[in-house]
Amino acid sequence: MKAFTALTVTELRLLSRDPASLFFTMAFPLMLLVLKRGESAPVPGYLAMIAAIGGMGALPGIVAAYRERKVLKRLATTPVSPLLLLGAQLVAQVTAALAGSTLLVAAAIVIFGAKAPANVPALAVALVLCSVMVCALGFVIAAIMRNTRGAGLIGMLVMFPMIFLAGAAVPRKALPDSLRQIGDFLPLTPGVDALTSAWAGTAAFFPMLILSGIIVAGTALATALFRWE
Amino acid sequence: MEAIEVTDLRKSYGDTNAVDGVTFTVHAGQTFGIVGHNGAGKTTTVECLLGLKRPDGGTLRVLGRDPARERRALAQRIGAQLQESALPDRIKVVEALRLFASFYHRPADWRQVMERWSLSPLARRAYGDLSGGQKQRLMLALALVGDPEVVVLDELTTGLDPVARRETWRLVGDLKRSGTTVVLVSHYFDETEALCDKVAVFARGRVKAMGTPDEIIARTGTASLEEAYFALEGTTR
Ligand SMILES: Nc1ncnc2c1ncn2[C@@H]1O[C@H](COP(=O)(O)OP(=O)(O)O)[C@@H](O)[C@H]1O
Ligand SMILES: [Mg+2]
Repeated sequence: MKAFTALTVTELRLLSRDPASLFFTMAFPLMLLVLKRGESAPVPGYLAMIAAIGGMGALPGIVAAYRERKVLKRLATTPVSPLLLLGAQLVAQVTAALAGSTLLVAAAIVIFGAKAPANVPALAVALVLCSVMVCALGFVIAAIMRNTRGAGLIGMLVMFPMIFLAGAAVPRKALPDSLRQIGDFLPLTPGVDALTSAWAGTAAFFPMLILSGIIVAGTALATALFRWE
Repeated sequence: MEAIEVTDLRKSYGDTNAVDGVTFTVHAGQTFGIVGHNGAGKTTTVECLLGLKRPDGGTLRVLGRDPARERRALAQRIGAQLQESALPDRIKVVEALRLFASFYHRPADWRQVMERWSLSPLARRAYGDLSGGQKQRLMLALALVGDPEVVVLDELTTGLDPVARRETWRLVGDLKRSGTTVVLVSHYFDETEALCDKVAVFARGRVKAMGTPDEIIARTGTASLEEAYFALEGTTR
């Protein structure tokens, strides 16, 4: 437990020192909010976007670098399992998503006078599920791709279209029919649905169930495919 | 007491016999050198010792235990610096030391380790901003922060400039005097000769010669370990 706490604190520190991570989880969503003149309807989508940028935009490259630079192998020579580092990375990404989301929601309320989310516990649960889900996908990408650059690139290439087509960056209503249908099959879509419902007051059971299913399937796949060196 | 006993170790990758029947013992407190050219099977051997790789054959005992079966328990008592392993660029020296200390039941005091290996002035420096020699000094300190009985150092000085290399020799000399058992892997014959009590000369997955550097040199009628190696391999420079 002592080791896991120390690893998690370290992972959070490293994330907070990465200017790109900091910008995309903290500043960029705020900029979008300002561009929308504080309109609160797209905010739940932005929360899903914050999670996706961390779990799929950043995590695959970080984890692949830990393998490529033999950090995982070095840990395997200590009493601590390298799996603990991956767990710490997951906790750090979820924490960062919660922090970025809290900042965004607070800004919407305090600066733009938005109404507070109607069901905060459901919103928090939906956000955690959404964040863990994108991290699970990020681990699958890190498992499949051999090197750091490839993993980082594929993470971005999957993440960007997904945040648009799943309705995280722009509402799906605004998309042409054909593109909107693709969104039905994307794993981030139930994340956006769960967050949007919670914001409006309902704990949407079905999207959360789908998110949980993707987490289980993604973790199983990543575990099966992951190479430690 | 024997700290390490390796008998007829074998490990192959596909049809490459990386380690092809290696036998040696290391007494507690000894500095044991494994020297040989790239691809000789040095790293594979020490990765088997560390329990990172499962041997195809032979027996291994490190501090009386089998590393393949009891890696976790042994890891409390062994420190390692792996060939080409690195840390995240943005981690600071002091953070890395504190982090690695948290992995062990009874670690050394990381502040003392930092002081002893002259890392205190670099405490707030990020890993990515360290010079090659400073990085290796940190990796050596991290190998020692668990207060190990056995330390494995794989290519500690590779890629360092001559000054940093000599500085690193001095550190290994200090370590040796403290009574720790050291396995020093290197492809430099001069440093193996200078630092080790006992040496195994590796070539193509086998031990070509073993003994003190002086014994090997005398046996081959040469003037240095490097010349001894070429004499053993039947080539002249
Ligand atoms: N993971 C691996 N897969 C395939 N071949 C390997 C692997 N690791 C090492 N080898 C091969 O095994 C031989 C010994 O390698 P190694 O133990 O790294 O030698 P050294 O450390 O003495 O340079 C080399 O021929 C190397 O190419
Ligand atoms: Mg090697």
